[in-house]
Amino acid sequence: MKTPERLPDLQIRSTPRHLRAVAAAAVLVVASFAASAAHGEAVSTPHVRAELLLEKPSVAPGESFDVALRMRMKDGWHTYWKHPGDSGEPTDISWNLPPGFTAGAIQWPYPQKIILTPLTTYGYEGEVMLLVPFKAASDAKPGTTARVTADAYWMVCEKVCIPEEVKLALDVPIGAGPVAPSGPAASAFASTRAKLPMPTDDWKIAASEQDGQFVLRIDPPQDVALDGNVQFFAASGPLIEYSAPQTTSVDGGVVTMRVKRSSYLTGAPKRINGILLAANGARGGGPAAFEFDVPFTAPAAGAAAPTDAAATTAVPPTLLVALALAFAGGVILNLMPCVFPVVSLKVLAFVQSAGDDPRRVRAHGLTFAAGVLVACWALAALLLALRAAGEEIGWGFQLQSPGFVAAMAFLLFGLGLSLAGVVEVGTALTRLGGTGSSGYRASFMNGVLATVVATPCTAPFMGAALGYAMTQSAGTSMLIFTALGAGMAAPYVALSAWPALLRFLPRPGQWMVRFRQLTAFPLFATVAWLAWVFGHQTGIDGVLRLLLGLTLLALGLWIWGQWVTLSAAERTKWTARTAGAGFIVAGLVLAATSAPAATAAPSSTPAEGIAWEVYSAESVAGHRAAGRPVFIDFTAAWCLTCKVNERIAFSSHEVQQLVKARNMAMLKADWTNKDPAITRALAGFGRSGVPLYVLYDADPAAQPRLLPEILSPGILLNAFSEVK
Amino acid sequence: MKRKLAVTSLLALALFVAGGCELDEDSVYVRPASYVAPAIGKAAPEFKAVDTYGKAHSLSQYRGKWVVLEWLNHGCPFVKKHYSNDVMQALQKKYAAKGVVWLSIVSSAPGKQGHYSNDKANDLTKEKGAAPHAVLVDESGTVGRMYDARTTPHMFVINPQGTLVYMGGIDDKPSTRASDFKDARPHVDIALQEAMAGKPVSVATSQPYGCSVKY
Repeated sequence: MKTPERLPDLQIRSTPRHLRAVAAAAVLVVASFAASAAHGEAVSTPHVRAELLLEKPSVAPGESFDVALRMRMKDGWHTYWKHPGDSGEPTDISWNLPPGFTAGAIQWPYPQKIILTPLTTYGYEGEVMLLVPFKAASDAKPGTTARVTADAYWMVCEKVCIPEEVKLALDVPIGAGPVAPSGPAASAFASTRAKLPMPTDDWKIAASEQDGQFVLRIDPPQDVALDGNVQFFAASGPLIEYSAPQTTSVDGGVVTMRVKRSSYLTGAPKRINGILLAANGARGGGPAAFEFDVPFTAPAAGAAAPTDAAATTAVPPTLLVALALAFAGGVILNLMPCVFPVVSLKVLAFVQSAGDDPRRVRAHGLTFAAGVLVACWALAALLLALRAAGEEIGWGFQLQSPGFVAAMAFLLFGLGLSLAGVVEVGTALTRLGGTGSSGYRASFMNGVLATVVATPCTAPFMGAALGYAMTQSAGTSMLIFTALGAGMAAPYVALSAWPALLRFLPRPGQWMVRFRQLTAFPLFATVAWLAWVFGHQTGIDGVLRLLLGLTLLALGLWIWGQWVTLSAAERTKWTARTAGAGFIVAGLVLAATSAPAATAAPSSTPAEGIAWEVYSAESVAGHRAAGRPVFIDFTAAWCLTCKVNERIAFSSHEVQQLVKARNMAMLKADWTNKDPAITRALAGFGRSGVPLYVLYDADPAAQPRLLPEILSPGILLNAFSEVK
Repeated sequence: MKRKLAVTSLLALALFVAGGCELDEDSVYVRPASYVAPAIGKAAPEFKAVDTYGKAHSLSQYRGKWVVLEWLNHGCPFVKKHYSNDVMQALQKKYAAKGVVWLSIVSSAPGKQGHYSNDKANDLTKEKGAAPHAVLVDESGTVGRMYDARTTPHMFVINPQGTLVYMGGIDDKPSTRASDFKDARPHVDIALQEAMAGKPVSVATSQPYGCSVKY
């Protein structure tokens, strides 16, 4: 069966082999003829190999055609764009043309940013083709060859700069009529043309100046879709600070860029010209450049401030958006592990009061909301005061102090014990507030407690809103915190305001005792987590002291609970109270005398396969200069969202493989203890809390991308696979 | 505890080794948050540096005199353009005669282009017929970073009160071709003429051009 099928293959392979060789040779010969006509001799200097190229095998008399100067730079060396930036000199060609031929100015493909800190220059590495428009003489004789020579001059640099000058020649065959581009260089011409900047006559581009920055508002037509990955290359100087980062935001297709003014520019500039390089601006995807030259105008009144496009840009949101995000964040906060245990306390109270007067239930709901709001305002006031005092703070700073962590652990452990029944619930709640009808104080204190415990958790949306708040005036910050508080309290106010919803809650009964005891366990889990945070801050010895302190607390509370009863003698109660208090205080003192850890070791998650490095601005710059993509994980021990993300997303085997394959530098910025450098880095991205995930492409000039606050392996795979 | 000790020792060893070795890459410099860039009309940053004869200089010691700072690297083609055509030397001599203190500053790090031993630097000065008041050696790049000196040449003119009156390029033709001199506006020459005559400096800043300073 197989044999007859094989025969045709053998036939094809063996018979025309020599014929194919002849054909190949013939093609080569023809091609070399065409090739030698289509390019001049290549000239090599120590650093550059240059030649003149033609796109077509011949040109017709009077035809317009392009000639290219192809320069291949030695590895690590670069030449310059028409405007070199901080230093350098553009390539220059002076032509010796046959009579009747004309040559125009160099058409420059878009450059890349070459960063040699503290300078940034615009140039080309590897290879570049500079196109020059020519026009053949109208009286050129078909069948002849016109010889074009050029003196090409360039500055080629690596660390040092070397000016080089070469003489190049090109023979241009004259044909009878125009022919199509062909030959080995034709495709190179086509791909170079794709890199030429396109005109922007039908775009709306406005340039203005605000606070030492040039603001470019770029509104392309419908057929051009721009995202935040754009860079501006100035085409003249002094105008912009070439090395300063450019911030970009996108709002409904309009790109707003902020570019720093050059310190060497005095007075008000009249015009700004240059090219916009959009990494994804080409029609089929891929980069495209657009050139413009616009006058400066006064900033438009009511120009929309950039909005937060779901954490894909580093620019803060408008006030309304921030308020909406804060409210949403507040609602979601109720589900966060920090707040949920306290929420369970509140749910319990609701269940208990379900049978009561609906007006009272509503009042309780509002009192809870009042507690939340007052606590939010107190927190905002504290943060503003600290900010005014010059402290570098961010949202969640409280849990950076071990004392606070220990205090929270004690508070929650005590609450858990009271729920579990170690101490009489009634007695415990009496401590917090009044009994029975004046349980309003309990509701209020629950609101305060919920807010206080919520502080280290950053819910989705909340981070951006609060980051924005910390950069705004006191009034605006207070408004945003109010929105957050309103969001947190909203579910309860809703529950209390609509008695109908209460009908869905079950009637009081024996189950309530069990439920109350059950809610102790989320609190104990939170205490365990706080102990872990405490451990990161003070070491394992500190954890021992904390646990012993909590044990003493439990003992003190048990004594209190056992002997301070309604029916006990006054003296017994007094002794019990003293003994109990004594143990509790001893416990607190024991925990409080834990010394903080000398250096904050990076809170490493066992994410096997990813080699995390400690974050520093220098290491980021170093990796980027080396051409590696960089991923920064801003995290903290007390940030549960961070830990969950790390556990789920980074432990994925595929993610780890991709990280290795792309040679990504993975840096972890641990914000567990006060670290002003990290606070500043966060502020640089418009944030004041964690988690924050920043991804830099391998291209040293690319802008950073912010990933969502809740990560999944899928999100990481998508983001990392787009990294070049 | 042991692991921390091991890590710290390794780090110390690495730093020691790195310090000893000649760093091939441009070391990454992070500007401190407190940095104030030089600005026209403001006091020029005070600096101290030693020249090629071992003599110490500071900006404050020249209070009462006009001072010109010229960032220098004899290996740079842009600097060569000015020195080969005697343009820089002529400017130095012209203003030395008027009592201007011209300080050439070399901020090249050891091993990088433009850095020479003191003897070699003095030889070059004589060879080229340059006439600066002194050639200051700024190997660590401290003075350069203070002034945000980016290129060679990069020029600063300071008045007798210590205020910066000009900063930027030596002229307006950022090229290495000598043929550009005839069309160039010599910014520093004009700035000095105007300022010394008590007139406001018409062009107080311009784009500095040249090779990057080899920190």
